[in-house]
Amino acid sequence: MTRIVAVDPDSCVACRQCEYACAFRRTGDFNRSASHIRVSFYPEERACVPVTCMHCGDAWCLEICPGGAISQDPETGAVTIDETRCAGCKMCLLACPYGNIHFDASQGVSQKCDLCEGDPACVVVCGSGALRFLEPDEAVESRRESVDVVLRRALRLDKGGK
Amino acid sequence: MAAQREVKKTLCRQCDDRCGIEVHLEDGRIVDIRPNKDHPWNRGRVCVKARAVIDMVYHADRILTPLKRTDSGWQEIPLDQALDEIAARLTEIAGRHGRRSVSVWKGEAVGFMQQEDIARRFIHAFGSPNYLSNDSACWTSGHIAYSLVDGAWPVPDFEHADCIVVWGTNPVASHPNVNQLITIARRKGAPLIVVDPRLSESARRADLHVPVRPGTDGALAWGLAHLFIENGTYDKEFVERHTVGFPQAAEYARAFTPEFVEKETGVAAATVRAMAQMMAAAAPRVTVYVDSGLEHHENGVNNIRAVAMLDAFLGSLDVEGGNRLFDDPPLRGLTLYEELPLRDLGPLGADRFPVLYDFRQECHTMTALAAILDDDPYPLRAMIMTAANPVLTNPNTTRMVRALEALDLLVVRDLFMTETAELADYVLPAASFLERAELHAHTKYQILNLTQRVIGWPDAQDEYTFWHDLAARLGMGEYFPWEDETGLDRWLLEGSGITLEQLAAHPEGFPYAPLRTRRWEEDGLATPSGKVELTCRYLKDFGYDELPVYRSPAYLAEPDPAYPFVLMTGARKLVYLASRFRNIARFRTAVPDPEVEMHPEDAASLGVADGDAVRITSRIGALEICVKVRARNEILPGVLQITHGWREANVNLITHDDRFDPVSGFPLMKSMTVRVEKVAG
Repeated sequence: MTRIVAVDPDSCVACRQCEYACAFRRTGDFNRSASHIRVSFYPEERACVPVTCMHCGDAWCLEICPGGAISQDPETGAVTIDETRCAGCKMCLLACPYGNIHFDASQGVSQKCDLCEGDPACVVVCGSGALRFLEPDEAVESRRESVDVVLRRALRLDKGGK
Repeated sequence: MAAQREVKKTLCRQCDDRCGIEVHLEDGRIVDIRPNKDHPWNRGRVCVKARAVIDMVYHADRILTPLKRTDSGWQEIPLDQALDEIAARLTEIAGRHGRRSVSVWKGEAVGFMQQEDIARRFIHAFGSPNYLSNDSACWTSGHIAYSLVDGAWPVPDFEHADCIVVWGTNPVASHPNVNQLITIARRKGAPLIVVDPRLSESARRADLHVPVRPGTDGALAWGLAHLFIENGTYDKEFVERHTVGFPQAAEYARAFTPEFVEKETGVAAATVRAMAQMMAAAAPRVTVYVDSGLEHHENGVNNIRAVAMLDAFLGSLDVEGGNRLFDDPPLRGLTLYEELPLRDLGPLGADRFPVLYDFRQECHTMTALAAILDDDPYPLRAMIMTAANPVLTNPNTTRMVRALEALDLLVVRDLFMTETAELADYVLPAASFLERAELHAHTKYQILNLTQRVIGWPDAQDEYTFWHDLAARLGMGEYFPWEDETGLDRWLLEGSGITLEQLAAHPEGFPYAPLRTRRWEEDGLATPSGKVELTCRYLKDFGYDELPVYRSPAYLAEPDPAYPFVLMTGARKLVYLASRFRNIARFRTAVPDPEVEMHPEDAASLGVADGDAVRITSRIGALEICVKVRARNEILPGVLQITHGWREANVNLITHDDRFDPVSGFPLMKSMTVRVEKVAG
């Protein structure tokens, strides 16, 4: 089972609960900067942008890590960092195209989403349901549905009828 | 030895959503709160407030021993002694000033509904009509308005709607699970319309944001009615068969052209038309969700009545995907109004706001203060308050504090030493929701739940036991015959055909009646006419408007150059609820400080930036608070917002306890006028 945290920006309201829950799991506090998942809100466009690790099948962070500290669980697909092997070189930060790895300066190690041992805290607290823990197939299916919905909504409104 | 792990399923009561939760314990201590995945309301999710239950119940500042005020400060005393002394003081005060000089005031920090009715029963059995509560300024205005029109306040059927209108509320912060339900509908293509002067979190994903000027919602609602009628897109059959007053309403709606609505509300005529079109296109599967944003205005009830009226035009009342009526839970009543009539005892505020009293048997807190301060119309000298904090939540704090200090006896039951408890003669420990076994209903799903007593402390009494023990000391034991709260729960269920054991076996909720729709077909509605009342004879008989007449808020009708800004108060923050949870450290990390939200143009003209202090003055008072500059589309120019509940900058120092909605008696807190000055710093 290789489930991922699927994000649906169209449902996100940037309420920040996911950031609080992630930060809490890591630090016991609600300091958003400690969260692995990151939600941005751009008022001018009214855009909510939740971004979290996709646990890539061909993960650049894993490939580039000179210490072999990053591995992928063959069963769950979770890409995780073994902090005891992390040398703090920050190559993975540069390799990740989405900025989903950050550096904990106090410990001198890189840190990232580990899927909370199969029960991601960000998903549990997502009140709008924008985050879902899904199999890749399910994620694709729901993305297709949501694209259709956006189109249907636009078409219906333009026609001004039912 | 390995720790003993246990999981107990119950409901969260950090807010009124009451989500199904699993409480995880280790050796009897709570270590985690998880969602109950089977509960239909929260569907496997819980907000961050649920996990904070642990912070709350084990908080170092939790009051767990009765406290008595003495000349040398708070003194811990045994519970029995506290109850004995309180009973003696109540008897003495009642002997001197009459029984109606004693009152109770229900808050909501430990719960409501069942707790409320026990408190009502107590004060009623004592012989006083003075039941007061936070409901003088919360929920009741909407309840009255919708009940006048529909006979009940319907529940939105979000997940089946083809169009959702969220009007004057931000469920992301106030009812987090509503957002899951909105998402279900949106994923099926339902557009979301959000009516709010602010671009709230809920409005961020709106397909149409309708930034109405505070307090002008009635004009917008009449504008929609105007378009439905003019375009012939209203449900003629429903209106003809199931409403009264359509001809008058149609005549009144004529003036509310989109252009007039634009002038009044600030919403572009094109937006009004788009809103009407979106709603009409989805009819009857349109759900309109109204909440307290419409309540705290001088024309609040009429504005909400005007919005409620739209359900009839759309044919969306009590249909799938519309605004649904519900069957009341089959619980016996605890109140004594039929056994012991008390209207002649002069409930405080009942003459001034007769509809409020008629609907809710609710005294009017702001009127009651005159009884404390001026013996008007008779003295009020003692108050037992259960988990209320009106020092931060009622308008005009200065007068509120003066009144509480003037009481001969103030008893406060709460989890913490609140700003209100600090004024008390006795502070008693209250049981949190995880320390009580009580009945709850989710009327949306028509299910009953029984909560569990998961943990407990000896002196932190549950609500029933407290009133029972006090009643016994006052010779009123006959009214509290049940051995404990479980005995009471059993009695409440008598005759329902449902047992406590069944409820205990179904922590996901036990259906008390099958869901149904279209009650107007056979049952009729619970209004005097049995129909939707677009005109209300009942109100007319009291001398109020028969139609939900629109009146411009005072700041538009008679602008006062000395107070050029419009202030809204009370928008919720997700991690807080009214005055609660400011003492949870990580919540303070998330939302650290009070702030006044302001449009960038206003900030520029005042010469202030984020974090600068301003002084905000109303005709009631003044306060200093720091500025938060919003984006241009996040708040209207000239409009400010301050969330209440902060000790550090308590906005109720400046809200009105002298201007009310004439029907509900709700205070003016969301369209008041103020002036703003930069504080030199």
